[in-house]
Amino acid sequence: MLQPNKLNAHDVIITTSQLIITNFQVSSDAVILVAELLKVFVEEATRRAVKQADSEDCDTIDIEHFEKILPQLLLDF
Amino acid sequence: MDEDEAQKQRLKAAVHYTVGRLCQDIAADCEKQITKQTIAAIAETAFRQCDIFAKDLEAFARHAKRHTVTVDDVKLTARRTTALYNYIQQKSEELALNNQELKEKRKKNAAKRKSKDMEAEEENELED
Repeated sequence: MLQPNKLNAHDVIITTSQLIITNFQVSSDAVILVAELLKVFVEEATRRAVKQADSEDCDTIDIEHFEKILPQLLLDF
Repeated sequence: MDEDEAQKQRLKAAVHYTVGRLCQDIAADCEKQITKQTIAAIAETAFRQCDIFAKDLEAFARHAKRHTVTVDDVKLTARRTTALYNYIQQKSEELALNNQELKEKRKKNAAKRKSKDMEAEEENELED
């Protein structure tokens, strides 16, 4: 399970360095950290949605589960 | 401006792909199915959150009168939750350690090459 995550982090890094569309230079370490931050964001969102679906006794993660956890997620980030 | 839009669409597609893979991994881990709609929503939210991060980073760097966004700016962006802050702190320390190790390796390699060159020169002088 570890290797697929490494590949995904690499994709996120490339996307992030292009997403930070400012007139500033970004140090390479900072890019890696922002990629890590975004990866944690996505993982947290998914896991909270899974918990919400769990608490409602569904085995499919529906968009309404994601909608219910979205406000707290945005406040925490 | 159309080029910017096209670039933005390509970035969104890339984020969507990566987010999709991450979500599928986690859903499989928890033995649940996840709908495509949900993945699309998470990807869109992640894209917008990255926009917010970028604006914050730019503001912090500008406030510190720098032209480069550094690790300290990123740490400040992650200040809201203590656990998140500690996690990012840990990762930044690991990165700093890695950089140090790489520098030491390069110094060793440079020293080795110098000593090899010196030995080669000495041998040539002896032969002459």
